Amino acid sequence: MRMDTVIMGGGLSGLACGIALAKRGKRVAIVASGQSTLLFNGGSMEMLGYVDGKAVTSPLEAIATLPQSHPYSKIGAERIAALSERVKLLFNDSGVNMTGTANANHWRITPMGVAKPAWLTLNDHLRIDDLNNLPAKRLALMCIRGYFDQPNSMMAMGLRNLGFEVKVIEFTTDDISALRRSPSEMRATNLAKRLVSHSALQRIADQINSLAGDADMVLLPSVFGQSDDSDFQSLQSKVNKPLRLIATLPPAVAGMRIQTQLRHYFRMLGGTYLMGDSAVSGTIEGDQLTSITTAKMNDMPLRADNFVLATGSFVSRGLRADYERIYEPVLDLDVDADADREQWTRFGVLEPQAYMRYGVATDEQFRCRKQGKTINNLYAIGSVLSGHDAVKMGDGTGVSLLTALAVNDLIIAKK
Amino acid sequence: MVTEDINNKEYDVIIIGGGATGAGTARDCALRGLKVLLVERNDYSTGATGRNHGLMHSGARYAVTDGESASECISENMILRRIARHCVEETDGLFITLPEDDLQYQRTFVDACERAGIRADIIDPDEARAIEPAVNPALIGAVRVPDAAIDPFRLTVANLLDARLHGADTLNYHEVEGMVINQGRVEGVKLFNKLNGSHVEVRGHVVVNAAGIWGQRIAQLAGVNISMFPARGALLIFGHRVNNMVINRCRKPANADILVPDDTVCVIGTTSDRIPIETVDDMRVTREEVDVLLKEGVKIAPSLATTRIIRAYAGVRPLVASDDDPSGRSISRGIVCLDHAQRDGLEGFITITGGKMMTYRLMGEIATNAVCAKLGNTAPCVTASQPLPGSEEGAPSQDDLTKRYSFGQRAAIGRHGSLAARIEKDNDIDNALVCECEGVTVGEIKYAVHQLHVHNLVNLRRRTRVGMGTCQGKLCSCRAASLMGEFRHDVKGAQEDLAAFLDERWKGVRPVAWGDTLREAQLTSTIYEGLCGLDMAVNMQGKEDVQ
Repeated sequence: MRMDTVIMGGGLSGLACGIALAKRGKRVAIVASGQSTLLFNGGSMEMLGYVDGKAVTSPLEAIATLPQSHPYSKIGAERIAALSERVKLLFNDSGVNMTGTANANHWRITPMGVAKPAWLTLNDHLRIDDLNNLPAKRLALMCIRGYFDQPNSMMAMGLRNLGFEVKVIEFTTDDISALRRSPSEMRATNLAKRLVSHSALQRIADQINSLAGDADMVLLPSVFGQSDDSDFQSLQSKVNKPLRLIATLPPAVAGMRIQTQLRHYFRMLGGTYLMGDSAVSGTIEGDQLTSITTAKMNDMPLRADNFVLATGSFVSRGLRADYERIYEPVLDLDVDADADREQWTRFGVLEPQAYMRYGVATDEQFRCRKQGKTINNLYAIGSVLSGHDAVKMGDGTGVSLLTALAVNDLIIAKK
Repeated sequence: MVTEDINNKEYDVIIIGGGATGAGTARDCALRGLKVLLVERNDYSTGATGRNHGLMHSGARYAVTDGESASECISENMILRRIARHCVEETDGLFITLPEDDLQYQRTFVDACERAGIRADIIDPDEARAIEPAVNPALIGAVRVPDAAIDPFRLTVANLLDARLHGADTLNYHEVEGMVINQGRVEGVKLFNKLNGSHVEVRGHVVVNAAGIWGQRIAQLAGVNISMFPARGALLIFGHRVNNMVINRCRKPANADILVPDDTVCVIGTTSDRIPIETVDDMRVTREEVDVLLKEGVKIAPSLATTRIIRAYAGVRPLVASDDDPSGRSISRGIVCLDHAQRDGLEGFITITGGKMMTYRLMGEIATNAVCAKLGNTAPCVTASQPLPGSEEGAPSQDDLTKRYSFGQRAAIGRHGSLAARIEKDNDIDNALVCECEGVTVGEIKYAVHQLHVHNLVNLRRRTRVGMGTCQGKLCSCRAASLMGEFRHDVKGAQEDLAAFLDERWKGVRPVAWGDTLREAQLTSTIYEGLCGLDMAVNMQGKEDVQ
């Protein structure tokens, strides 16, 4: 099979890059394992949430202060402003309805009721633009009986700390109770699959309408709409108060929805999405990667002019560690990582961990190296890159999206 | 939550230490009709009791080097199979000879087992490979012995429960900060209540020091000197159960020569290092220890090389310096019972130490005999025949279990024996699973919080195995924390507790953080810090929750 570009990894960065290239008429294949960290995404994108542990007000301003090793520094602060607008268009074109701006972070509310800075948030999810000007006064926090992946008591406490009046209301419907008979089925994704029909949503709406009292906003766990926000819209049309969804513990319906919509749009543009497969090796000739092989198509190498490594960090197996070293498992590319195992981690679990910043080494154009030699047609994007920390800096999704578009531009400019 | 009103009580005996030995002593004393108080400075089973292999020795390991310990082990082994069967898994064990070992040793070993009364059958290496497929196929000799696996947490809790059922009071998180001594006689202890910060003095006719390696410090508080030999041992837990039998090396005891299957996982250990007494509270496992355990472990079961390691931990054996032993016996791992009246002229104070988790019951019996002698109590010891709660006659059979109970109920019966009947399961919420790996239900958590002295998630893990399975508490710890916050009406505390729980897990994970273990660690951080913002939550100076 011969493509213009082959992307290894079908998560957020791989899809964003694939969509951008396909829109320019390129023949693109994405090799996707089927799992990505979008499974842990509560419905927001973060460009830059924290610098030195302090919440960032304006990501675009703060980016200028980052060290040269950060992926954003390679793109440059000015280009990021333009790219960030294109990210919003990309989501819009894919049918992912999000709001936000790179000039000023807003706040997303985590499953534990903590407000964290965010760049873009799904429109049907709770978003607070200004903590001193809350979008509602009295909240009805609707909790599904027997659903434990929403820590209700923590959510209520967090919202009260932000200044909301919160009434916690437990409810269930026949559809939900049917799921509960098998306890391991009470997961957000199973609920989202079941709560789709007009009648199932009506039964929930009836509960809300009778229980929500004098609340001026109603919050529900994010268990609606795995493929788009139409289930939410349908539910909203049956309820006489504004509804907002709040993130749950994984599996996160919001992240799955984003993934589904991006994948759908990529395919609509003619992209090839090889689901359930992953790159295992490649052939390097001179300064070029000429082909890769995948786990499922062993005898049929994928050839392309350009390759993009979007395989993610350790979680997604884009990086591996063994007893002795950190390495990139597909091509054994050069990595930025400490050689000494003792340096990988720190003693406290909530301290910043060095391994979070490890990743493949790249030049200013995100091109990878092997044994010190640059591979001119292999680019790395997203979480596999070194120099950022999704957990402590709140830059994971932003790095994925912005490096994806930056590399798209580099590939397009090549010809 | 259970609390004791200890202010107006006077006890016959106060036992210091909530490990297996203290719990076994408390049970024995209570069964003989004594008024008992047991105090523990942390949670139960936090010392050597909770930091070993979970191996129910047949005694074979000690047969060649220490015949007395071997005889004690096999005798206690047979007793525990009866009285604590809900804590025991009858796996049997192999002592294997590898090409690098001397096959001559096998004969010495089998003869020594015979002398100690331990059944030891030499079997063909082919048979060994057939009955235990995980064993190193290069083995040149194998001996089958009645080793087994035992859950020390469950065993300790069962002893404490029975002590309580017979009138004993037991307190965790109460630290002894001083002794009440009057005219050459110990008359009680001064306690610091770590849960509420208060100080209290309790009276007892006899005080038993069953504090393990920390017994040296307790003795100092009473003004007497015991010299301990702290012997540290590190172990690794693997992510699944590769072996079904205990596998030992048939050679003189050395590093990392025992692999024990424990429930869904398996454990290799131990190293053995003399350490200074000042360092016994630092349980961090070093890189060197991990390297030795791995290198030797793969010789026993080669598949360990590719099996995920989920955690490393270390414990300290409370061995007593024999030169200080008044009986003059040359004791290494043997049981030591010191009556400080005879030894040091201090009445009302007994130290029980040395020994092993395996012989906790016998240690309890010896200590209780010494207590009873002082108090003029002549009641006989019944702990060798009376089953522990959970192992009584009529507890449901395996067959009953699969037919009549759900996964969660079966798992609970496995953990709590017949006491599982006390777990609420009348509605679908109580039956709902919180921890899917280990089958822990909402009802079981309620039971643990209200009946088993559970104050935090680490306690809960020890009582129920929540978060101990292959996922290592990724989601269940948050679910459990949220539920405990509700049951205990302290949500802020539950968040801090959750952070402390993750930190405690990380201590064990960090020494082995590579491969899938590092991957899981990043996943945990992605969920709890990235998605949930727990790190921000525990730093927040928020208003107290008012629910």
